[in-house]
Parts: sequence; C-alpha cells; structure tokens
Amino acid sequence: MGLQALAYPFLFVAIFFEAFVLVTFLSKDARAARARKPARRDAPDLPSVAVIVPCWNEARTVGATVESLLALEYPAEKLEVVLVDNASSDDTPAVMARYAAHPQVTLLREEARGKHNAVNAGIRQCEAEIVGCLDADSFVEPSALLAMVPCFENPSIGATTAAMSVHEPGNLLQHMQNAEYIFGIARANALSVVHGIHVTPGPFSLYRRALVQSLGGFRAAYQTEDLEMALRLQRAGYKIANAPAARVYTKAPATVLKLVKQRTRWTSGYLRNVLNDYRDMVGSARYGALGAITLPLGMLAIGSGILLFALALYQVVHGLVEAVSLRAGIPLSYALAPHASFGWFYLPASLYTLLAALTVLIAAAMIVLGKRISRTPGSLTAGLFGYVLLYGLIAPLWLIRSTADVALGKTRAWR
Amino acid sequence: MSLVLRNTIIALAITVALVLTVFFAIKYLNDARVAELHSIEDQLSLDTLSLDTQFSLLEAAPCGSVASSTDLTGELASLGDRLAYAEGQLGSGNAQVKGLKEQYSLLEIRDYLITKQLAAACGTHPVTVLYFYSNAGDCADCDRAGYALSYLRDTYPNLRVYSFDYNLDLGALSTLISLEKIKATLPAFVIDGTTTYGFTDLASLEAEFPKGVLSAPAASSTETTSAK
Repeated sequence: MGLQALAYPFLFVAIFFEAFVLVTFLSKDARAARARKPARRDAPDLPSVAVIVPCWNEARTVGATVESLLALEYPAEKLEVVLVDNASSDDTPAVMARYAAHPQVTLLREEARGKHNAVNAGIRQCEAEIVGCLDADSFVEPSALLAMVPCFENPSIGATTAAMSVHEPGNLLQHMQNAEYIFGIARANALSVVHGIHVTPGPFSLYRRALVQSLGGFRAAYQTEDLEMALRLQRAGYKIANAPAARVYTKAPATVLKLVKQRTRWTSGYLRNVLNDYRDMVGSARYGALGAITLPLGMLAIGSGILLFALALYQVVHGLVEAVSLRAGIPLSYALAPHASFGWFYLPASLYTLLAALTVLIAAAMIVLGKRISRTPGSLTAGLFGYVLLYGLIAPLWLIRSTADVALGKTRAWR
Repeated sequence: MSLVLRNTIIALAITVALVLTVFFAIKYLNDARVAELHSIEDQLSLDTLSLDTQFSLLEAAPCGSVASSTDLTGELASLGDRLAYAEGQLGSGNAQVKGLKEQYSLLEIRDYLITKQLAAACGTHPVTVLYFYSNAGDCADCDRAGYALSYLRDTYPNLRVYSFDYNLDLGALSTLISLEKIKATLPAFVIDGTTTYGFTDLASLEAEFPKGVLSAPAASSTETTSAK
C-alpha cells in the first residue's frame, strides 16, 4: 500500500463526481432538457440574435467562421453577425472586409486589446435580445441556434451553452481533446439541470444582452472572461442552460506546447477568478451544484491531478531505478528478456489500480454518452485511445504550470 | 429534497458501493491466491512424502529407481515465485503468507535433505545453493542477490537453489541455520557446502561456485541422478 494510500481519498472523490454527473445525466430533468424541441424557423416569437466574433489575428479561420454563422437556420432579419477586429496585425481586417456589404454583417474595430473589450464593443453596437459569442476559430452547425434559443423561454436562464467538439481532429492529441470535449457535452447537459455549469465557453454561448449590460459587460478576468461572466451572472441569481443538440466545432491545439499554453491560461484563470473574486461561492449551497460541487471539486481536481501525477512519476522513476539496479551485471540477454508470469494468479489488481481504472471507465462511458446525445459525427476510437493514453500524462503539465503561475503571481501572454 | 441533495446522496451511495465492490473483489482474489498456494503446497507435501517413502522403500537400490527430486525442485521454484508475488500483494506481515512461507521452507529443507541423501547413496554431486535473505529492510543487497540467483537457476536448470527468509520463526529453519553456522550478515550463501556473505556482483558470486559447474549452461548437468 504505502504511498498509494494518499491517492485513495482523491480517487473516491473522482468516482463520486463521476457518479453524481451520471446520476444527474439519467435524471428526469436532464432527459427533459435533452428532449427539448428546437425552435421552428418560422416561429413568430423567435428572439433577435446578434453573434459577436472577436478576432485577433484570425485571418486563417475567420472566413469559415462567418460562413458557418451566415448558414445558420434562422430568419435573416433576426440574425446579425458582428465581426470585431481587435487590432489584428495579420490579414484579418482584409478577410472581414469581404463581408462588409453583407446585410447581416457589421464590421467593427476595437483598438483596446483584450477579448473582453472586443466583445463589449460588439454588444454596444447591437440591440438584439440575445447576444452570442463565437471564437473566430470555431464553426457552428446550421441547426445550432434554433436548438439553443428555446432555453431562454425560462426567464431565469441568463445564458446557454452549446455542445462543443474538435473541428477535424488530425493527430492523436487533437483526438484526445475531442474526447475530452465530448465528455464535457455529457457533463454540461447533466450539470445544467442542477445549475452546476461554471463556464460559458467562447465557442458559441448565448446571453441575454440586457443582463450582460446590466452586469457591466465582460471583464478581463485573468484572460478567462467567459468563465468570469458565467460566475457573475449566477451570482446575480441567473442560471445557465445547455443545449446538447447545438453542435459547434472548434480548432484544437495540435502540439503539446500549444495545448499546455492554452490550458495554463484556462486553469490559472479559473484559480484566480475563484480564489480572488468568487471565493464566497465555493461551498455555498445557495448556488446549487455550482457552489456545492463544481467549484470545490474543481479546486480539488487540480490539486489531486498534481498529487496523483507526482505519485505515479515517483513510482515509475523508483521502479526504473530499482529495475536497473537489480539487473546491473546480469547479461543483457537475460536482463532484457521478459520474465513476467501470466495467469490469473499474477493479475496486477490492487485497490489503487482498480479504482483508477474505474474512473477511466466511467469517463469513457460519459464520452460515449456525450457523443450519443449530441450526435457528434466521427469515430471515437482514436479519441478514447488518446484520452486513456495521453490525458493523464499531459494534463498535469498545465495543472502544475498554472498552479505555479498563480502561486508566484506570474501572468502570461494570451498566445 | 433538492435535486442536488438527492443526487449527491445517490452518488455517494453508488461510490461507496463501487469502492466496497472493488475492495471485496481484491480480497476475493487474494483469498483465491492463498487457496491456490495451499493447494500447490498440499500437492508438493504429498509429492515430497511420496518421494521420501519411495526412497526409503528402495533404500537398497535407490539409484536404479525413479526416485528423483528434480521435478519437485522445479515445482518448488514455481511455488516460490508465486509465494513471493503473494507476499508482495498481501504484505510479509500477513499471517497466511507467513504460514505458507513456513510450510514452503519446510518443503525446501525436506527436498534439500533428500537431494543430499540421493547424492550420498548414488555417488552423484549435485550443486546446491542455500540462500538466506531478509526482507525486513536490513539487507540492501538481497533483491540483487535474489535476481542474480534467479538468473543462475534459469541458466543452469540443474542448479538447486533453496531460498530462506532468515527471520522466519521456524524450528527446522533455525536448526538449519545453526547447523550451517549462518550469521545474521545477509545475504548469505552456502554454495556446495561453503558459506559466503554479501553480494557485490554476479561475477563474484559465480566465482564462489566449484570450477566447471557454471561453464556449460543447461545442456550439461551438474547433477547426475539415477533417472538418467
């Protein structure tokens, strides 16, 4: 047992969280949320929607992003696309200029750097009832908006999130992220019915415009303005819904370095927002599952991710040193040959390995469920393989880096 | 009751049930391992007794009989491997493991004695190694010594290696230790009757063996039994 005993409480909490999500996913309320009918395109009471696309050096992808928005199944007179160039230094303005004459498109330039400034500039320009944000490297399915607007029939809903997955995953790392995002679809669907969503992601979230303005608009919020807005509007008493049928695809980092950089920003933003500005919500039953479960367990997950990784690393290094020391001086033909014994007797099953396997198994089940409810196209095989193989190795890198950044007060550039 | 509270209680119940299921599954597996070891030991006890009896019955001409403990030695090694694995899983302090180790040590001593008797009766010269170790944390080189002996045993199958936990509280083992005058400086080896202490490397250990014994792997036997 030894050091492994340290991991047991964290594994217990991980299984508890997964069980909570699974139980909630199967609840009547979550089933009802999944069964929610999309709005009809010809419905007379459809709200007006403005989708803001903040762009900072997004020349390569913004064209396709705009095309996907213009292809949304929604009455043209009720849908506006606001492209905000946030002082780009590449060809973004030129790409945006191609849409200058389009009746549904408005072009803006915001010199004050920062995504929150760009989004706020867009919000100031529009009068639509609902405003949406779509990152300029993301693309929506035509049916996404009609699937999301019915959520706002409930006046307590302040925002709605979509079902996000990776756009054309190429390598194993991107497949891994795709599986993780699809896991997030099932999780968001479940947590939305107990008001436990902690972020309204940049790739297509909708808000009540009046609410966002009454709350003072978006803030810099340690480079995680989407997370901060989600917390702020819930602190104001509003709730966040989820529409799992609203599919949106986003580009995912293709290298470990870029992924770690992106996730360091997300995780350090989470930590700074929660620790500095929203600490009162942690553990508070007043905020539903967000205060009672999502926020406290999110903090715990960061700590346990680092601890479990350190533990596994120690065991691997210790095992390697022992194996090398054991074999010193023994002919390589024997030392390197496999001497493992097989059969049930030698099954390497311990409480630690089986509990860890159980968490992975439940996560895999959630990924399959996420794909099913969102009808996300493509195969999951590579994603599941990448998730099981890589996630535990790579995620601790950004957990450690972001925790160190927060502890040392270090801030990093967006890209 | 709110949905959050209700689902929290259900999730907690599920988590406890899953953890308990895993816990009892592990316990069941470990119990099955111990039962398997018992079963192998029982069989080996029978085989040893049978060999012993066979040897007594054919005392007049044991070398012409089928009496041989070679097969038993192989089975003993296999049992030793399983026992070591079970010890790693259950811990050396586990009462069942301790009992099995005592039984295993007795079998080893019995096999060692029969081998010596057969050798004396038949004029053969099997090379035996008595290896004394400790896993109480006071023997830094025991793991390396054990691995080196495993290499020698696998490379020279007719080499008879008997491993004993020096700290095992077993009368027969204490007698063997005092007969061989083994001090508590571990690891200790009795190779072909000569006692040495400590382990530096494989080459030094090989140098302790009688000349020629380790020169021809597997094919040539260091032991000639009547069965051949």
